[in-house]
Amino acid sequence: MKTTISESRLLVVSDVHLGNRLFRARQPFIEFLKYALEHRFSLCINGDGVDIMQTSIMQISRDLAASTILLQKFVRQGLKVYYVVGNHDIVLEHFLDDWEIIRVVPFLNVVSGDSRIRIEHGHLYDDMFVRFPRIYEALTLLGGLALRIHPRVYHALDRSKEFLLSLRRSAKATVEGNEADFIPGEAPAFRDAAERVSRRGFDYVIFGHTHKIGSARIGKAAMYLNTGSWMFRPHYVEIVDGDVDLKPVVSRDAGLVRESWTTLMEREAGRG
Amino acid sequence: MRSPTDYEETYDPGDIIVREGDESREMFVIQEGEVVVTKEVGGEDIEFARLGRGSFFGEMSLLESMPRNATVRAAIKTKLLVIKPGSLLLTIRRDPTFAFEMLQHMSRRIRDIDERLVELMTSGKMPKEMSDRIERLRATSEYRTLDGVDE
Repeated sequence: MKTTISESRLLVVSDVHLGNRLFRARQPFIEFLKYALEHRFSLCINGDGVDIMQTSIMQISRDLAASTILLQKFVRQGLKVYYVVGNHDIVLEHFLDDWEIIRVVPFLNVVSGDSRIRIEHGHLYDDMFVRFPRIYEALTLLGGLALRIHPRVYHALDRSKEFLLSLRRSAKATVEGNEADFIPGEAPAFRDAAERVSRRGFDYVIFGHTHKIGSARIGKAAMYLNTGSWMFRPHYVEIVDGDVDLKPVVSRDAGLVRESWTTLMEREAGRG
Repeated sequence: MRSPTDYEETYDPGDIIVREGDESREMFVIQEGEVVVTKEVGGEDIEFARLGRGSFFGEMSLLESMPRNATVRAAIKTKLLVIKPGSLLLTIRRDPTFAFEMLQHMSRRIRDIDERLVELMTSGKMPKEMSDRIERLRATSEYRTLDGVDE
């Protein structure tokens, strides 16, 4: 298994959750893949790309059919698609590997320009997932059930979980540091884990899993980034020759005039 | 202040980090810089590896409590993360992928050695003393239990 790679142009997304009823960004995701192909970026899906825990067969078929054709194009054009396994797709590992269009890995060490970048889903640092795996799985399945009733039921359940977790966090020791050192709403454990990993000679550490978008300083010169989730506010990380940027995926609706999605993306990226 | 589990050290070019035969037990992760690994053969230092950022070394002495089998020098200004034997498990618990990367590293090393060995054996360039030793090792391994303890 090759986990250390060299890429000069790479886009990273996480928690796309293809197949989840809350994933509504099918068209933006397709446009995003087209954009990556057009600009010759390799792609890294950093965990929970396909959601088997809270899926609907109808939706997963539609979502996958549309994306698979484009993912095959990456391989035909000599670009790579890496898939870092997350907690919603662990059971799919062999299935994903058998596609033969993606490289399934537990994490990625990327050498780009002068930078060393670690890409990992981040679920290993989720206290709940590691310490209480059965409760975590039960809650995830309960979330899937809530989704079948109505997305609002799911959100209410999610908010209660967040509230309980925040109570638990505030009961623990207060965290030192200023705002730039943390991603808002995210448990400090993830930033701490990123810092520990960065001490092994990484300039950037990229996680997903928490669905909290943002970046934070770690150590003396490293950065921690989280790409959030495509179920809520699609973001991605762009890596070009060692430069790493966290960017929002602009919606076609955001354009005041009828412009192509690629034009909007380019303008957003400062290239238009 | 040094952390109870690990700490950082900086070396200037040419500084010796570990010396062949030393009894030290720490392992090292290269945070910045580059190191040269050499081994004394017939009174001469032979360079057999250069390691860069993210690589690690010294894990054999840590795992087996054996003397260092090579000398490692800083090639340029080098910053290292030093992991002590007593804190390896804690490091792995906090950073579990580190264990995965250590296994990957050691598996790669075994594969390299196997390939070199096969190359030597098939080329007929292997000294008789060495091939006899391999035969002896092969014979001994049959008398080992699965957990590597001699019966």
